[in-house]
Amino acid sequence: MPETVEVEIKGATSRGTLNRRNLLVLLPLIPIFVYLGAFFLFPMSRVLFDSFKSNKGEFTLENFQIVLHNPYRLAFLTSIKLGLVSALTAALPGALFAYLIEIKGSERIKKLVSSLSGVLSSTGGVPLAFMFIAAIGAQGSATTLLKNLGIDLYSGKFTLFSFTGLVIVYLYFQIPIMVVVFTPAVKALRNEWHEAATNLGATRFNYWRNIGIPILFPSFAASFLLLFANGFSAYATARAMTVGNVALVPLQIGSLVDGNIQVGGANIGKALAMGMVLISAVAMIPYLVIQRRTRRWQS
Amino acid sequence: MKKGELVLKNVSKKFGEVKALDKLDLVIKSGELVALLGPSGCGKTTALRIVAGLEHHDSGSIKINDQNISGVPAHQRNMGMVFQAYSLFPNLTVLENVAFGLKMRKVSKEKQQKKSIELLELVGLPTQKNRFPHQLSGGQQQRVALARALAIEPSVLLLDEPLSALDAQVRTNLRDEIRRLQLSLGITTLFVTHDQEEAMSMADRVGVMRNGKLEQIGVPSDLYNKPATPFVASFVGIANRIPAEVTGKGNVKVLGQKIALSEFSMEFDDGKKVNALVRPESLHLVSESDPEATNGIVAIKSFLGPLTKIGVAIEGYPIVHLNLASKDVKRIEIGDRISFKIAADELMVESA
Amino acid sequence: MKRSLTLYTTLILGGIFVFLPFGSAAEFSFRDGGANKHSLKAYRWILEQPDFVHYLLVTLKLTVIAVVITILLMVPTVVWLHLRAQSLRPLMEFLTILPLVIPVVALAIGAQSAFPTWLQSTEYELSLMFAVLAMPYTYRTLDTGIAAIPLATLTEAARSLGANWFNTIIRVILPVIRSAVIGAVFIATALSLGEFTLTVLLHWDTFPTWVTSISQQNIVGAIALSIFSLAAAFLILIILNFTIFGARTKKVEE
Repeated sequence: MPETVEVEIKGATSRGTLNRRNLLVLLPLIPIFVYLGAFFLFPMSRVLFDSFKSNKGEFTLENFQIVLHNPYRLAFLTSIKLGLVSALTAALPGALFAYLIEIKGSERIKKLVSSLSGVLSSTGGVPLAFMFIAAIGAQGSATTLLKNLGIDLYSGKFTLFSFTGLVIVYLYFQIPIMVVVFTPAVKALRNEWHEAATNLGATRFNYWRNIGIPILFPSFAASFLLLFANGFSAYATARAMTVGNVALVPLQIGSLVDGNIQVGGANIGKALAMGMVLISAVAMIPYLVIQRRTRRWQS
Repeated sequence: MKKGELVLKNVSKKFGEVKALDKLDLVIKSGELVALLGPSGCGKTTALRIVAGLEHHDSGSIKINDQNISGVPAHQRNMGMVFQAYSLFPNLTVLENVAFGLKMRKVSKEKQQKKSIELLELVGLPTQKNRFPHQLSGGQQQRVALARALAIEPSVLLLDEPLSALDAQVRTNLRDEIRRLQLSLGITTLFVTHDQEEAMSMADRVGVMRNGKLEQIGVPSDLYNKPATPFVASFVGIANRIPAEVTGKGNVKVLGQKIALSEFSMEFDDGKKVNALVRPESLHLVSESDPEATNGIVAIKSFLGPLTKIGVAIEGYPIVHLNLASKDVKRIEIGDRISFKIAADELMVESA
Repeated sequence: MKRSLTLYTTLILGGIFVFLPFGSAAEFSFRDGGANKHSLKAYRWILEQPDFVHYLLVTLKLTVIAVVITILLMVPTVVWLHLRAQSLRPLMEFLTILPLVIPVVALAIGAQSAFPTWLQSTEYELSLMFAVLAMPYTYRTLDTGIAAIPLATLTEAARSLGANWFNTIIRVILPVIRSAVIGAVFIATALSLGEFTLTVLLHWDTFPTWVTSISQQNIVGAIALSIFSLAAAFLILIILNFTIFGARTKKVEE
């Protein structure tokens, strides 16, 4: 009895059709869809829907209207400002440092910086706050050291528990994040491009202006956006370093969750959360899009 | 096109403890294409990069048309260089890439355009001018790289293994094109490669390098027929290594034949055991009754189209390879007896 | 290679920036009533706290569960995607990256209001959420790591040589994806050990939140605790980086 042999006809695909083969392929993927659905999409959709609900459960835009006014409005502006300032102060130093290490560092140094950056990027909260208080707080060791050298950090109105203080402390993890995220872009700068440019008559300035910076810019911008989103959304460190004197959205949501009575209805927190999601998405979506494109030539 | 004669004199370069170049002397005449051939690490790329100014030599001099360019920074040397791969600027279009050197020289925009298009036509890619490098194939990219290097009308063209990253078919086509272009433009060219076929087919002269030294430089046929060292002999073409013995002054006894030694193999004493380097095509079929015949059994037969490679097993010797015209060996099969002799005037030997 | 002045100056300055806060806090943590006397008093105090071991174990427990969830969920998924469902990879990449776009605070409020009571009454809800938080990183690590291996080819080769599915998975697939899995485990662990925001907003107590609350009682003790956990994290991660991730492949000398 001759065996029947199945021949695959080139070009004839069964993609997209709801046949048995396609369903079987999807089967093992069900767990993750269900998981993400239950533990991520479900809570987030709840936030979305509840933000449009009044105390009585009816549809309303009231929550958002309230959120657009003080004290929440101020919190949004301050949080955005914090994200921007934090990103600005960390992006350039981080990028330059990443570049310097990648170009001039030995393999051992590169590895050390990479490990250290990975570790430092996840520091935060109370431990981080304490480190800085111990270092440059009013009684800090560095403060005392500088005072002996004649520099008084606290001669003016400076205090660590302020917006400025937060920006300084945030640098501790923002710069490492920048190093981690930007280094692949620097690594992808091929020596050949610089050599070819030099060979064709370009000075260092010409090279950077025409080739280097244009190539690095998308990654730099993407990293900046990430830093912004991170600074904007950070909670633990802000909570450790402020005592209600800096109005930030994550903190407000936090206190709402703790049951504190706030201006507005029960779903204000959700409206605030939606606001955060929106602003975060505005930064993160371009970040991801750029990352996706540049990843292709960076690996 | 400004013609240039390139002279390297006594150039040495060390990387740490490693001698990359050891007192290299090289003269490339105006309009000549010289290929530097050798295995990885022989110094050929280092030599090229030093000429380009991308590396600094420790001692020696580099002159173009008698002008010492040792102190001239790389971006002022006016040489066109083509790298092995990935050298096109990814953020610029093909046209902008080709025009880059002109832009650096502050040439007017119209002239930039005109010259760049001219060159793209020369390399056969005028329609790709608005594409980006990643949209082109490897061969196309290298052609753009070539156009870019030629756009600045350099005095010297430097090619750093430009074909090594390409597919075989593309490689052979591009090889001919580069040579054709080089000849029509009459531009002095230094070409670095590890592929002997490439070097031999393209160059006016080929220099074989090893361990930072130039072992031999000459026209391809001289390198092939009169290799100066065993290394050159085996690098440029295949050679059988047949155990033999030096006899008398200037002769070697191999497989029952007495053949003169090449002028480069004179240092061996009478009676010394050596390996004679015999090219497969120097071995001819003879009848068994020929007094100088060597007899053996056919162990390998590889049909290669016009040629057939025959491997002959002889008692007490390694397999000897012959390259014979396929029509002559049609009826010979594996296991048959076969007789051949060495038909060479002189042989190179190396110590066994 | 020219020793670069810029490099070493920058490294030294960077080193100061990194280690000065750490060093200052460390110095503080060794204080014994005033800046001139130093001892291990604060550290002994920590270790004497019954809560120390308790919360350490809580965090470790939650971390292990989170890592197990990650492995069980992500590894088969990514392997399957690479073997049989390549076209769905972009979709999956998009879905798994969503937790990165959403601020943790927002997720916390979502969890708090949406999850059923039975879920919210167990601390294991944290493990479940940690796996979600880690997902963008773990998926990416596994995806990139496995993409670098010719998994489909290896699997086909094994099958064509007669291996059944069980053997193929155990002897071929698992060994070859080992380093990608280790990377994902690493990230999930680091994230879970240090997670604070979600934990505190869902009103649970783990080691990180305990460290925070201690600061009300004994500030030197809290600082000592912070230094301890930071130093431990630093050390572990750096050692891991230099051993497991460093000596991953040793090329055989030809």
